[in-house]
Amino acid sequence: MTRFLVTRILSALLALLGVICLVFLLIHLIPGDPVEVMLGESAQPTDKETLRHALGLDLPLHQQWWIYFKGLLHLDLGTSLFSGRAIVDLLIERIPATLYLSLVSLIVAIGLALPLGLVAAVRQHTPLDYGAMGFALFGMSIPNFWMGPLLILVGALWLGWFPVSGREGWNSVVLPALTLGTAMAAILARMIRSSVLEVLGEDFMRTARAKGLSPTRAVLHHALPNALLPILTLLGLQLGGLLGGAVITETVFAWPGLGLLMIEAIQQRDYPVVQAAVLCISTTYIVVNLLTDLLYAWLDPRIQFTTGDG
Amino acid sequence: MRNSFHEFRHLRHIRPTTRSPIGSVRKRLHGFQLNWYMWLMVFGLISIVGCTEPLPDYTLRFGLANSPTNLDPRYATDATSARINRLLYSRLVDFGEGTVPVPALATWRELSPIHYRFTLQEPTPLFHNGARLSANDVKATYASILNPATASPHRGILQIITRIDTPTENTVDFFLKQPDSLFPGYLVIGILPANLIAKGHPFHTHPIGSGPFQFLERADDTRLMIERRADGQRVEFLRIPDPTVRTLKLLANEIHLLQNDLPPELVTYLSARKGITLQQRQGANFAYLGFNQLDPVVGQELVRKAIAHAIDREHIIQFVLRGRARVAQTLFPPEHWVGHASLPGYTYDPEEAQRLLKKAGYDYAHRPTITYKTSTDPFRLRLATIIQYQLDQVGIDVSIQSHDWGTFYGDIKSGRFQMYSLAWVGVKSPDIFRYAFHSDAIPPLGANRGHFADVVSDRLITQAEQTLNKQEQQTLYRTLQARLLDTLPYAPLWFEDHYALASTSITGYQLSADGNYDGLGQVRWMGPPSVPPKHIARLDP
Repeated sequence: MTRFLVTRILSALLALLGVICLVFLLIHLIPGDPVEVMLGESAQPTDKETLRHALGLDLPLHQQWWIYFKGLLHLDLGTSLFSGRAIVDLLIERIPATLYLSLVSLIVAIGLALPLGLVAAVRQHTPLDYGAMGFALFGMSIPNFWMGPLLILVGALWLGWFPVSGREGWNSVVLPALTLGTAMAAILARMIRSSVLEVLGEDFMRTARAKGLSPTRAVLHHALPNALLPILTLLGLQLGGLLGGAVITETVFAWPGLGLLMIEAIQQRDYPVVQAAVLCISTTYIVVNLLTDLLYAWLDPRIQFTTGDG
Repeated sequence: MRNSFHEFRHLRHIRPTTRSPIGSVRKRLHGFQLNWYMWLMVFGLISIVGCTEPLPDYTLRFGLANSPTNLDPRYATDATSARINRLLYSRLVDFGEGTVPVPALATWRELSPIHYRFTLQEPTPLFHNGARLSANDVKATYASILNPATASPHRGILQIITRIDTPTENTVDFFLKQPDSLFPGYLVIGILPANLIAKGHPFHTHPIGSGPFQFLERADDTRLMIERRADGQRVEFLRIPDPTVRTLKLLANEIHLLQNDLPPELVTYLSARKGITLQQRQGANFAYLGFNQLDPVVGQELVRKAIAHAIDREHIIQFVLRGRARVAQTLFPPEHWVGHASLPGYTYDPEEAQRLLKKAGYDYAHRPTITYKTSTDPFRLRLATIIQYQLDQVGIDVSIQSHDWGTFYGDIKSGRFQMYSLAWVGVKSPDIFRYAFHSDAIPPLGANRGHFADVVSDRLITQAEQTLNKQEQQTLYRTLQARLLDTLPYAPLWFEDHYALASTSITGYQLSADGNYDGLGQVRWMGPPSVPPKHIARLDP
């Protein structure tokens, strides 16, 4: 287990280092000049040179990288070119909103997908199965930028139950979470169905039924837990995506999260904020995947040996 | 949870009832099962919170497409920041009728062509921290902008200042490198308290000015709350990027006011709704087609003139912009003090366009091909498609390239284009002519992005800048505009109108000529303050 843990953590750190290098190079690879962004077109060349020197942008690349890396170790991500605010403060402001939306969306997704997937698997080739999978197809086919305004129209305008957008109260999370959650639920429901179907054909399920367990108990207590492992991987990936900022949904609902921050920064060419947002999102992916792997190994102790032996 | 976990550890020693291949999975997950009564408690709590009656809400909410990026006027360059900073800070000079510089905080006298004296008008306003604004604050603000270490984007134009003196507490003297009769119009930046500048106060996050509104809070970049000093009326700016959602929010009475940045069809739709009023006013934001003069196709004057004649601006304004614009002939509208109302302009004349193209050596068998760059904004893309069609009708092949704003603007600034469409927003001073058209202003020295080089225009720009006689200056600038219309570095399109859509629960908002938010100084509720929709569980005071 220790070897597995160490291997996984080391590979995650290696990936993180790669991301840091790529994110650092981002500012040098993309067209545009941060100094010109800050000073505007009317700035004098001498002023541009002065600022470039002050920002350390005239130093050799390796020195700039080392300064950037040292800054990261102290959680110094720089300041926004436009607002002049510390980027760490911007992230601290936005991450809780994204985290909140992600978790509620995940709950919505699981809440929808679990019964749908189970019913579809247990009642395979029946109208219930077709209905559940039809919903899944529907959920996967509808893009968020369409689903969002549709939910706003119904939930906020017609019914008047929820705010149209923004983070304006406890219930403002409902519509964006439903938008994200239904799309996720669709994929999850299909995964749960196929995973449960696979497990239902296993020998231990026949044993469970043979010893007199009710079908419901056999499915809930034996089939479902054993079917959850592949679903966990999918959930990990999807949660990573959500925590990285659901860009479209956050934009539609003016949800003050990481996705909206990144879009704003890209539009304004606020390079340090884009760098920090990309780094934050990549780190989230790496951490969530690491945790998924560890959870996977914890739930199924055989995994570590399989992985360890290559 | 902890009890369940211990229970699980205990159960490890018990043989599973069923020999599943992953027998431990069920047991481990079992530890996370919540009891039903806990769920009931959670739902009960949510229901109690949901039943809380919303309190009467005195806050006026203003929907914005973009957040203000910087609340420090020394750094702010975007239109939203500039408009909000006008509410938070006072400035020496403003623009009045005909976009002529008029006194705001101070009156001025030209003691010599290179020496201006500004006298603060009594009583000088108080800063939001209680201190009274003085000449020292004016000096400190401009000195700070002129300091290269500040890295202010406004330094460029103000570098004409060589020295700032404060002979008395209410007098500021500006000394210039060379005569510039437009100089007072440059002093429109909000004044900051000198002592706080010295302390390095973070004005960008905690602005302290002497304007009619004071900063209250900014929970995050999408919300900004300010308060009217005269009566405590609160105004909250909310960033709602999606225009459809902004529209729905106004319909749901979650915001009470929005201004510009909506597709024309949504403006028409909202203006027809009960409970919403539309205000409209002619604007001065100049939309144009820019050309690369170094390009072998659009570098030809005949081709540019053919393009100008091939575009049916009247119909685009009538059917696409829904009448919320007027045809432009030059960069300044006729009501501007250098505006030229009698310029003939280019009428829609496809035959003339074809004749000009033929003269330039093109015909249907040998059609010019132009790449037209624009942003990814759906409305701008729609306009580009219409222009593409109209140019095709006279024999010009146009391919549209749309890029995200950053890439598009980067390409334009770097001269990587054949033809593009953009707009000059908020231009008030005729010094723009040097910046945009003088042959010395090719990037990075200015914004002559199309490399326009015309000796006559250069001479007219210099003469207009040097003359100290206002009448003569006006004549020179009008002659220059006629010249620019003839040589066509830009094909003028239109000036888009400003509009504001407001809930009928508020009144008194006056739309300004340049689209600023100064009308918030007079806005008030009709009758008692609005109560927010019941579904918003807001806890504002």
